Amino acid sequence: MPTLPQFLSQAFNGVALGCLLALISSGLTIILGTLGVLNFAHGAVFMLGAYSGFVVLSHWGSFGAALIIGALVLLLFGLAVERGLIRFYYSRPHEHQILVTFGLGIMMVEAVRHVFGGLSQRVPLPSWGQGIVNFGFFFYPLYRVEAIGIIAALLLGFYLLLYRTRIGLVVRAGIEDPLMVGLLGTHVSRVFMVVFSIGTMAAGVAGVIYAPLAAVIPNMGEPFLAESFVVVVIGGLGSFPGAIVGGIVVGEILSLTTLFNPAYSQAAIYAVMTLVLIVRPHGLFGTTGRV
Amino acid sequence: MLEAGGRWRARWLPELGIAIALTVLPFVFEAGFGALDLLTRVLIWGIFGLGFDLLFAFTGLLSFGQAAFYGTGGFVTGYLLTSGTLSNVWLAMAAGIAAAAVFGVFVGLLALRRVGIYFAMITLAFGELSYFLENSPLATWTGGENGLPGVPAPSVHIGGFSMSFGGSWPSYELVGAFFFAGFVFTRFVVLSPVGSVLTAIRQNPERTAALGHDVPAYKLAVFVVAAAFAGCAGALLGIFQSYMPPESFALDTSGQLVIQTVIGGAGTLIGPAVGAFIWLSLRDGLQQVAAVSDLWKFILGAVFVVLITFLPNGIVGAIFRLKSHVRPHHADGIARRDDAAPGGTLLAPMPNVTAPGAATLALDVRDIKKSYGGIHAIHGVSLALPEGRFHAVIGPNGAGKSTLLRLLAREETLDAGRIFLHGKDISTADVTAAYQHGMAKSYQINQLFPQQTVRQNLRIGALGRHRGRWRLDVFRAADGFATVEEIVAALVKELGLTECADLAVNTLPYGEKRRLELGLALVSRPSMLLLDEPLAGLSPPEREGIKQLLRNLGKGRTVILVEHDMDAVFELAEQITVLQEGRKLAEGTAGEISSNLLVKQAYLGGTMP
Amino acid sequence: MTRMIEVERINSYYGDSHVLFDLSITVNEGEVVALLGRNGAGKSTTLKTLAGVLHPRSGTIRLDGEPIQLLPSHQIARRGLQLVPEERRIFGGLTVEENLEIATFSAERPLPLSDIFAIFPRLRERRGSYGRSLSGGEQQMLAIARALVRRPRLILLDEPFEGLAVIIVQNLLDMCRELAAHGQTILVVEQNVRAALSLASRAYVLDKGHVVFRGSAEALRDSPEITNRYLGV
Repeated sequence: MPTLPQFLSQAFNGVALGCLLALISSGLTIILGTLGVLNFAHGAVFMLGAYSGFVVLSHWGSFGAALIIGALVLLLFGLAVERGLIRFYYSRPHEHQILVTFGLGIMMVEAVRHVFGGLSQRVPLPSWGQGIVNFGFFFYPLYRVEAIGIIAALLLGFYLLLYRTRIGLVVRAGIEDPLMVGLLGTHVSRVFMVVFSIGTMAAGVAGVIYAPLAAVIPNMGEPFLAESFVVVVIGGLGSFPGAIVGGIVVGEILSLTTLFNPAYSQAAIYAVMTLVLIVRPHGLFGTTGRV
Repeated sequence: MLEAGGRWRARWLPELGIAIALTVLPFVFEAGFGALDLLTRVLIWGIFGLGFDLLFAFTGLLSFGQAAFYGTGGFVTGYLLTSGTLSNVWLAMAAGIAAAAVFGVFVGLLALRRVGIYFAMITLAFGELSYFLENSPLATWTGGENGLPGVPAPSVHIGGFSMSFGGSWPSYELVGAFFFAGFVFTRFVVLSPVGSVLTAIRQNPERTAALGHDVPAYKLAVFVVAAAFAGCAGALLGIFQSYMPPESFALDTSGQLVIQTVIGGAGTLIGPAVGAFIWLSLRDGLQQVAAVSDLWKFILGAVFVVLITFLPNGIVGAIFRLKSHVRPHHADGIARRDDAAPGGTLLAPMPNVTAPGAATLALDVRDIKKSYGGIHAIHGVSLALPEGRFHAVIGPNGAGKSTLLRLLAREETLDAGRIFLHGKDISTADVTAAYQHGMAKSYQINQLFPQQTVRQNLRIGALGRHRGRWRLDVFRAADGFATVEEIVAALVKELGLTECADLAVNTLPYGEKRRLELGLALVSRPSMLLLDEPLAGLSPPEREGIKQLLRNLGKGRTVILVEHDMDAVFELAEQITVLQEGRKLAEGTAGEISSNLLVKQAYLGGTMP
Repeated sequence: MTRMIEVERINSYYGDSHVLFDLSITVNEGEVVALLGRNGAGKSTTLKTLAGVLHPRSGTIRLDGEPIQLLPSHQIARRGLQLVPEERRIFGGLTVEENLEIATFSAERPLPLSDIFAIFPRLRERRGSYGRSLSGGEQQMLAIARALVRRPRLILLDEPFEGLAVIIVQNLLDMCRELAAHGQTILVVEQNVRAALSLASRAYVLDKGHVVFRGSAEALRDSPEITNRYLGV
């Protein structure tokens, strides 16, 4: 039986992991909901974010700069990919879209491997992130608490962007009915461009935040790709609240099952995904249609 | 004799070619292309790809989790042998393949509930799950991250003849034999009625179901076959290498299979092998070049992206397309009335078995209801059609005519009420069952199989009624049912489609497609025919042609026609039902309806106060 | 009377189904014109072609003398042609206010919200409600209001009265009459002949993709043969 401090520690880990997954998955889900494209390169984008953070930190040593520059780099990268490749695929069958993003993902991983090598890079904790927080009856690493805070702020920002700005309004309308958005005078492909870029940036920033916590290697994004798929299936395709709730749920399941039997934590999330598929195929917040 | 020889050649040429290649290539490889072992590896991927090609290219199901079955086959076989549970390698292989197939049933039942994007995501997830299971909870059996070393090679002892398959050449012979057998089998599948159904499912799954085929069952069958092929390839890998690697479960492996298939040419059966050759040679070859030695995978990824963008059919596929050119049809779209058999009967309906208690109505619809989210589309409609009646349903916009036809054809569930077809209660039957009971529908928007020819389209419909919902007759030829071929030929003639019978549907003009659409509803020789706006979108001369057909096809069967062309309706229908806002407004002969004031109001004045 | 819309011999297809055959119609500034006909006659297809949802394979469409038949729908909308589609297509997940707000983007001088609510007081009451919770009549009002926000030169109404209760239809008719009285040019497609003719000064009747009647609304009302043959049963 785990002790209370162990339990709380893992519960916190679940929140941290869950927030990370929520951020990655919300990017994936808005791209899927608006463009109908399942981005198989999303894990590679996460990895690219981590490496961007690594590069910035090596040269300037400021984690804040790493976050900002990493976000910008991935924003521009998403823009380039959408304009240069993805937009030619909107009228092609879903399978082709999946295949081309899959190929893109491989190219990204291999390019990074060529430049940085396959050995893991170490990204140091920021100076303000070192140390431990004393919660009274248990201790917890400070950086993880801060990471939760940063991601929560980012998700809040994402929320404000979607629900309080003009561009967010257009995106939400575009998820529902892109044709009507065009009939109201807005060039829909601009919307697609913005959505893809922002979705990519979200995954990239998640990568920067995650970098100090684990080994930064070229295929670090792979497990997160599969897990974000599980989150999106559980939460519902195209649903921002679904990505958040789904992310926390998956994060907690992964962390808490580790307490009892680490070997089965992965199996547990796939079991939940299977359950959702049987009982509520469109996910917790998903609506019928679109896909 | 010459013709028979030609047909034999056409059927068996690919098998012959593969047999020759398998005999000659090993020498070529030993001499120039690197060792024989490379060819053996290519063929192992080739076996993996034979099943995947059936799943992805023919049925349209893109799975990113095939490694789950590859690894299962390999590890089950490997474990049984290395642990001493079984000493007979052949039995262990059989067990491995069976295990992969069973796993395939389990994953298939879950993943096939969804299509497209969802399906790809779910298969990827299961692939990752199996990788994880191999690595951790099942590590005692699988060796965890170390894999399973020491897998022995099989041997054959027949009478005095004895041979062991260890070593380069014997391994190649073993794998080559399996590849050849697998190729012969998949060729049978592709050329069988099962193959036709799979191809139809890829192009239009809803219509395939509406033509009497149990689509979920076929999908599961091909998924399990693909899993079995994957398991076989995995088992052979373990034997060939004397070692079973954990990476066989990885996403990389599933991804490599997909990339190789696309590069080599999806839908050609040998595409995956060709792709494997390209992948493996490039990897080995580029590693000699210092500057780009570690970029071989990047280059492959780039090639893959380029190919998807410009040549989605892959290299072999592109070559095939160049060779087989389909003549585009230069028609002016006017119906060829001279082609149609004058006074033909458009294939009398199949004799149907009426439920006891004869003198039953052909169609007895009792107070059916259907709502969509609070809106009543059909609000208590009843119909009583005697055998042979030509009945029309009309009504203003939003009256529910299309919904009514969808309910009758069993495309949607009823909220309330019952439907009896020839006395049999079909209220809970699905669209596939309704077709098997002798009811067929022709759609307002053409629902055809665009990449197939007219003849192949009709055959899919006829095979549905003739073979039943589900049959795994993989060793029959798709065109090997004499009755089916006769029906198809007769219908082609009566529809005036003789000239374009062997042209791909997506090259035909609209008028021909509309005739084929009608044909698909007729090919099962239905006793109950539902026609949803058959004249939609036709030019005046084309309308005349179809109206002529409609006059003929009513003979001996019961017809419900939904149309807006009032001339046609009054000409053809014996009785007319007028719907308005989901309810029956009036019913009677053409004369009665056209003089009915309520009906006039409905059309001209909108809702009644 | 200036010609606002000139449609010359367009041939429109739905997929490869030939729906409009050499169709020609005109709409003058300040007019209300009705496009009538049974289902499948091509009325909706005509509006969709005008709005740029479909592109004709041949023929021209001129808006204020400029050809627009090949422009994408968002550019046609910016030139002042606003389609209110048949299914209304309001954004269910957005509130009434948000639906109206979207319409203001890319509009030069959008109509202020207060003016909209003056015309549609019911929408003021429901301003915070989500689109999907509105009744059919309210959704239609919102769809029309959304179009009006952009001060369109021409409004295309696709079956605005379908599926609505008589009282609501009456309401909407009164509103449309007011708009017309203020000079709004309207092209309305309807199956409800009575309602449409009470609004329009001119009418076209379509049958199987061809124009079979063009003239004043009065002339149509006085031609029962046309009405019975092409509109009734």
